[in-house]
Amino acid sequence: MGARSSGAESMEPRALLLTQKPEPMALFAFFQTILLLVSLSLRTCQSEVLSEPLPLTPESLDVSINSAQRCLHLQWRVHSLAYHQELKMVFQIEISRINTSNVIWVDYYSTTVKWNQVLHWSWESELPLECATHFVRIRSRVDDARVPEPRFWSNWSSWKEVNEQNSLGHKASSVFPVDKLVEEGSNVTICYISRSHQNNVSCYLDGVRMHVEQLDPNVSAFHVNNVAFVRETGTNIFCEMDPKDDAGTVLFVSKVLEEPKDFSCETQDFKTLHCTWDPGSDTSLVRKQPYQSYTLFESFSGEKRLCEHKNWCDWQIAQDSQEMYNFTLVAENYLRKRSVNILFNLTHRVRPMTPKVFFKNISATNATMTWRVHSTGNHRTLLCQIELHGEGKVIQQHNASIKVNGEYLLSELEPDTQYMARVHCGDANHFWKWSEWSGENFTTLEAAPSEAPDVWRDVKSELGNRTVTLFWKPLSKSHANGKIRFYNVIVENLDKPSELEPVPIPAPANHTKLALDQCSYRIHVTANNSVGTSPASVIVISGDPGNQVEEERVNVTADGFSLSWKPQSGDVTGYVVEWCDRPQDGSCDLQWENLGPNTTSTVISSDAFRPGVRYNFRIYGISTKRIAYLLEQKTGYSQELAPLVNPQVVMSNLTSHSFTLSWKDYPTETQRSFIRGYHVYLKPKEGQCHPGFEKAALSDNSVCCKYKIDKPEQKTFVVENLQPESIYEFFVTPFTSVGEGPLDAFTKVTTPDEHSHLLIRIILPTVFCVVLIMIVCYLNSQWMKEKCYPDIPDPYKSSVLSLIKSKENPHLTIMSVKDCIPDAIEVINKPEGSKIQFSGTRNSLTETEITKPAYLYLLPAEKNYSGPGPCICFENFTYNQAASNSGSCGHVPVPPTAPSQRGLLTSLENLLKALEKNYMNSQGEIPAGETTLNYVSQLASPMSGDKDSLPTDPPVPALCSEYKMQMAIPLGLASPPLSENSSVSSVTLLDQGDHHH
Amino acid sequence: MKVLAAGVVPLLLVLHWKHGAGSPLPITPDNATCATRHPCHSNLMDQIRNQLVQLNSSANALFILYYTAQGEPFPSNLDKLCRPDVTDFPPFHANGKEKARLVELYRIIAYLGASLGNITRDQKVLNPNALSLHSKLNATSDTMRGLLSNVLCHLCSKYHVANVDVAYGPDTSNKDVFQKKKLGCQLLGKYKQVIAVVAQAFQTGDLEAYSDPRS
Repeated sequence: MGARSSGAESMEPRALLLTQKPEPMALFAFFQTILLLVSLSLRTCQSEVLSEPLPLTPESLDVSINSAQRCLHLQWRVHSLAYHQELKMVFQIEISRINTSNVIWVDYYSTTVKWNQVLHWSWESELPLECATHFVRIRSRVDDARVPEPRFWSNWSSWKEVNEQNSLGHKASSVFPVDKLVEEGSNVTICYISRSHQNNVSCYLDGVRMHVEQLDPNVSAFHVNNVAFVRETGTNIFCEMDPKDDAGTVLFVSKVLEEPKDFSCETQDFKTLHCTWDPGSDTSLVRKQPYQSYTLFESFSGEKRLCEHKNWCDWQIAQDSQEMYNFTLVAENYLRKRSVNILFNLTHRVRPMTPKVFFKNISATNATMTWRVHSTGNHRTLLCQIELHGEGKVIQQHNASIKVNGEYLLSELEPDTQYMARVHCGDANHFWKWSEWSGENFTTLEAAPSEAPDVWRDVKSELGNRTVTLFWKPLSKSHANGKIRFYNVIVENLDKPSELEPVPIPAPANHTKLALDQCSYRIHVTANNSVGTSPASVIVISGDPGNQVEEERVNVTADGFSLSWKPQSGDVTGYVVEWCDRPQDGSCDLQWENLGPNTTSTVISSDAFRPGVRYNFRIYGISTKRIAYLLEQKTGYSQELAPLVNPQVVMSNLTSHSFTLSWKDYPTETQRSFIRGYHVYLKPKEGQCHPGFEKAALSDNSVCCKYKIDKPEQKTFVVENLQPESIYEFFVTPFTSVGEGPLDAFTKVTTPDEHSHLLIRIILPTVFCVVLIMIVCYLNSQWMKEKCYPDIPDPYKSSVLSLIKSKENPHLTIMSVKDCIPDAIEVINKPEGSKIQFSGTRNSLTETEITKPAYLYLLPAEKNYSGPGPCICFENFTYNQAASNSGSCGHVPVPPTAPSQRGLLTSLENLLKALEKNYMNSQGEIPAGETTLNYVSQLASPMSGDKDSLPTDPPVPALCSEYKMQMAIPLGLASPPLSENSSVSSVTLLDQGDHHH
Repeated sequence: MKVLAAGVVPLLLVLHWKHGAGSPLPITPDNATCATRHPCHSNLMDQIRNQLVQLNSSANALFILYYTAQGEPFPSNLDKLCRPDVTDFPPFHANGKEKARLVELYRIIAYLGASLGNITRDQKVLNPNALSLHSKLNATSDTMRGLLSNVLCHLCSKYHVANVDVAYGPDTSNKDVFQKKKLGCQLLGKYKQVIAVVAQAFQTGDLEAYSDPRS
């Protein structure tokens, strides 16, 4: 258990402290030794004396405790030695724990013992001494060569009990050691003691349960090997047992103190030595151990200095010009010391002070850098290193040897460029370290631009004028040599020489537009900064519109568009390839690339190139006269993509056996890849593909017939061999090298009946003709009416007449009105001055004065007539067309008192009432008692054209035997008004619902 | 004695400067004169009640913060290392009369104030980086000082009690580190337990007091 702590299993004494008291009288000791030897030799001769052991027993054994160090200190004497006697002896020491029989340690201590000497020996226990009672005893044996064998051990001293008094105090239990400071990696034994007998003890180190060994009923212990650093506030240890009792302690584990690393000293001014080191781990522990201390010791001067800082310390250089220094740096904490040593010559540890840098004579390409290093004593030679930084990189590096002041000309600088130059110095004779860098920024002056701007043009002709857009690329920084302020453009008419006027274009513009006529022009473009003008870039715009070339497809590689062209013989000074970076959005963003006269191929790449966009490249040759002429034109895609849209297909010419598809509006130029042709998909009704079609599976796994059109320019297709009255579905999509267009919906088409076209050819014209006739008829309806079905037929034109003539009575003629004599006309009243005023929308009579008898009685001529009753109908062959056409008809008021017409009058009254009710407001004034029906007779008035009177000579009644009612209308409503010159052929009264003729 | 000088004595000097410091304070007889440095607020009981609520609401957080800062095995052995076994803790009878409760409260707060002073001092040494714990301990101590002053004022003004015998917890200055940690944890565990009872008692007691006149 304790063997490790002292490592004394060997027979070698394990003494920690031994004190001897040397006798001053060496001569006396010599004689004493002689006497002893003589005595011993005499005893050797006497055998009875040799067998007895020397009585050199250790006496006055005293044991003391150092609990903090867990040490037992033993001291004793050997009283049996003679005065001034010295004898080499061996002491055997036994240590028991808890009880004397439990010997835990046996050790041997060999030393030369002198008379009356107090001997010391220490033992360190790994178990805290508070944990258990210890017992110590000792015995001795002479181990001196002067004493002949055999040598015997003395008797043991009595057991000495060692007990940490009252370690528990008033507590029921405790854990030891208390608040112990140990080093990380060491081994620690922890004990738990209690007043009561322990049972089922559990101990935890920072929450981790430990294996506990019970030493006696009241003491348990556990070992912690290679203890780890947990936290600077200590590691909690906690023990508990049944019955309830617990205790704890805190173990402070310090990190191991490290040897200072990189210890060095240097001076900048020969007054102070600045020593630095890397301290390593912090071994401080809260409340238990402060940060490790550092002490600087110089052996030649014997001076020492306690350093205030963790990692550096200043040492004042003495005035006596000490050159050699031997420093020892000692690091120390509560647990151990560490030290490092350096020996050096002061002049070999010189680090120059940081230089101070200035610049002068800064031009466009040169600058002079000066610096000064403050004194390092005795004007030592310094080696300086100069670095020139541009754009974050070291672009120049120079060395210079100086005393105090340095100067260096920095050349080959770029105009208008910011640089940073810095310098550091070291001792040239005994280089130790470079000084700190010291640097400053400076900017060179501007210079005139060194190169002509790269110019290109875009020419657009319109209506005899040309719009020329000049483009130029900004000069690179190395060519601009300063900030470009403007560009000068000079346009020179080659056909009509004139004065040249430069047109300044302020930077950063990169193009300008010129309106030119058809003459040839030479254009000069220069870039200008604050210092000067660049060389001119010349381009000639020829009056010749140029040639047209065929467009070819361009090869695409992983690096870009690979363009090649045929070499031009003659005066080609170079080539220009131009293209639009953004053709897809119309902005073009014209780009060009200048190539040498010997170049016939190039690869064009741009970050702006996008898949699915067609790029056009034009290759121009530049003549010696700076005229550009188009050589080749190429087009291609950086990456072809499948078409996104299908053509809008128009179906036409539908017949029962075919129809035509066309998609002429489909633009092939703006598609996402080269259109190689079209696929026409057709879903036939029968499932059989037509000739020319082949079966194909669509992306939705449906099967249909496909016809392939290989010519992208063919944008029509006739689907033939169809069945009449069948439904077909078609779909047209372009195909490219990367696939077809999207699968869209099929369009249905139904073929018509086979004869339907014939019907259409017949019916349509027929319908057209009928409609035309109807329109004509409508437009000439009056004429037609008059001709075909007049309101009042002309008896002379009646077909009846011809029929009658031909079939019944060939001698039948039309009756003349003059020949018609009425049966009787009696005038019973003739109102004087009566007036009837009519007004209406269609007809108006301003004033009519009836001067003739107003009431007529038409008496039937036949004898069997007996009052009102059904009328005898007959056709009036005497109708006078002229009277009808006049639009007038006579009307005669019929007096209500007519005795033979009572019934008629009653009905007439009713009718009048109705008329009054309906038309009173609109018809104007009608005198009371004079309202009556107006009968329009078909009888033509024999007095047509007579304005003044009724016929004075009425027709013969016998001849007028047959009438036909034409119209019965309310007076003044529909019938034409009766005018004074109207003639009345016949007047009658109508019964309601009856017709009287 | 350092702890006495650093924690308890200044507290007593502040609170009882008229009467000296250090000696236990007997309850003043009812007929004795009682004078306060400043006139007491009219709503002292409200303030006391609010301060108790405030302490009660923060006690558990303080307890957690404390045992967490001590490291293992404290967080996982609260029942053993932080059980509220504080033998000499002043008693409190929640069903007593207001005067008795206030006197007991005074003793408790005085005890806790001194103990918190010790804990704060110890933790600043043992856990110098546990700043939130220090802050919480200081805030709790401040509230306790105010509460103690209010209770004394109320006792003095209403019940004419100027001095109250108080007892303090054990001085931890000479204890080992583990003992300091453990005693602090036990005290804060006890504090968390007691302050809940006291705060509840004064809330309930006040309600009873309000309802008493009606009954």
